[in-house]
Amino acid sequence: MAITLDTPQPQGRHLPALRRSGLVLILAALVMAPLYLQNYYLHALIIAMIFLLPAHGLNLILGYTGMLSLAQGAFFGIGAYVAGLLAIHLGSPFWFNIVAAGALTALIALPLGIPALRLRTVSFVMCTLGLVVIAQTVAKNWISLTKGDMGLSGVPRPSFGWGASATHISSIPGYYYLVLAVVIIATLGFVALIKSPAGRCMIAIRDNETLAESFGVPTWRYKLIVFMLSAMFAGMGGALYAQYMTVVSPLMFQMYYSNTILIIVLGGGVGRVSGVLLGSFVFVALSEALRITPELRMIIYGAILLALVFCFPQGLARLVEQGMEKLAAVKGASKEALTHER
Amino acid sequence: MSVETRPILRVRDVRKSYGSLPALSGVDFDVQAGEVVGLIGPNGSGKSTLFDCCTGLQRIDSGEVLLNGTDISRWPMHRIVRQGKLVRSFQKTVVLGTQTAEDNLILAGQMNCFPSLLSTFGIGPSAARRMRLLRERANELIEIAGLSRVRHLPAGSLSGGQQKLLQFASMLMPEPQLVLLDEPLAGINPILIEKVIDSIRDANRRLGVTFVVIEHNTDVLMDLSHRVIVLHQGTKLAEDTPAAIVRNSAVVDAYLGG
Repeated sequence: MAITLDTPQPQGRHLPALRRSGLVLILAALVMAPLYLQNYYLHALIIAMIFLLPAHGLNLILGYTGMLSLAQGAFFGIGAYVAGLLAIHLGSPFWFNIVAAGALTALIALPLGIPALRLRTVSFVMCTLGLVVIAQTVAKNWISLTKGDMGLSGVPRPSFGWGASATHISSIPGYYYLVLAVVIIATLGFVALIKSPAGRCMIAIRDNETLAESFGVPTWRYKLIVFMLSAMFAGMGGALYAQYMTVVSPLMFQMYYSNTILIIVLGGGVGRVSGVLLGSFVFVALSEALRITPELRMIIYGAILLALVFCFPQGLARLVEQGMEKLAAVKGASKEALTHER
Repeated sequence: MSVETRPILRVRDVRKSYGSLPALSGVDFDVQAGEVVGLIGPNGSGKSTLFDCCTGLQRIDSGEVLLNGTDISRWPMHRIVRQGKLVRSFQKTVVLGTQTAEDNLILAGQMNCFPSLLSTFGIGPSAARRMRLLRERANELIEIAGLSRVRHLPAGSLSGGQQKLLQFASMLMPEPQLVLLDEPLAGINPILIEKVIDSIRDANRRLGVTFVVIEHNTDVLMDLSHRVIVLHQGTKLAEDTPAAIVRNSAVVDAYLGG
């Protein structure tokens, strides 16, 4: 017999509550982190949260629309340059830079997406890889704007007003809270997006593009919008990165960034918001933690990734979910036993 | 529903080739509003290609496809569905496998409910109201299709027959005026055949939906259709009432057999 979800199973009833309480706990731990963590660990958390933004973007295009884009690293870098240049030349406030970086990156994605999205599967992936190379070449050679290989140094720390007199956030805990706030807003925005009717259209495109089109979904336009939105998320992440590291250089376009973003999404759990949240903390933290053995760092990192791909192809989020399902089942069973005893 | 003499679909000298291989070499016919038209012919006679050409999945080489007098042969598929209210099924049953049966239906009707692409990004009260109406309509159709017990299951986990019913229900979601069905009875059991036939009749009589049906089960099709069109090697071999078609010697030779 087919199981209907109309009558929740005993273990299923506790799952949402368990999930909610888990989320609240994590959020509370994050908000209070500066009270019990040293600056080095806060730094690792900041980097993890910054990478969460381009990872949201990649999750949108890969997990919800079904297209693998390697260009997230390029858009991350473009966002960093936009924010860095604005902060240096205009002394503009943080909120202005991040909005401008997001908007401009999305705008740049528009003409790139129009030809790229005409391609399918492997050709599209190769094309997005090409975009990273082009972006790096431009950053290296447009010396009057980007200062070439030297890059932009001395990007001001984020401020809340215009000019040099504005208050700057220079402490690590201060920046931590700023990034946390941006990440929470971005995640809420992401959830609203995928829950909207448009999000449903994206999932339809991922599942079967021709069927989606036969439901009246203008698939090509949605794909273009998704490409722009994913670039916007990456660009905003880049803006956070630029004003935190205070240096922006063509090294931002190394494959390391695109790879990290890809690992976060695939390792965490593609097509799940929780997967990306988990992935960004675990993989960035892992990469930072392995700095204690610089020689073996990348080897261990690679081995862990291989083990993960073989053992949990659906990502860490699915693993956690299974654990929670078991816990909820135990809780459900013990409650049931109690009621029987009575 | 009585058949009116108002052509809803006019196919005029439609030609389509795949490379050097002609699939349709000048097909002409009309479909009147309220009709159920059967489309038969041997494999490779151009039936599915004709559907593809009427729904924007394939561009025609020459000719016209008029929907309510408007040439739609250059329209993309999504526009034909949204503005033309013309929907189709595919030979191979397709559903959105990861989505629940209910969500499949909501998605099928959604683009009919939201006036613009931008409005689908809305999360305000008007979007919520639209979604509520969609969900109600989806649940009505789920009830009619007899899929209530499985509506919260991923469509990919449903049986072949259930997927067929789901596909049929999802085509009625956007309140279409013309439905093209590509082998709706292929690979389903006799009880389900009855159910699908009843659903087609009900949608035709009660809701006034016009149907064009490709089907190899000619007994059932002759019983269902007001008129039958026979395609053979990319051209129209005959067009008549079912009773006349089964007596047509050219059709018997080419397709029906002795």
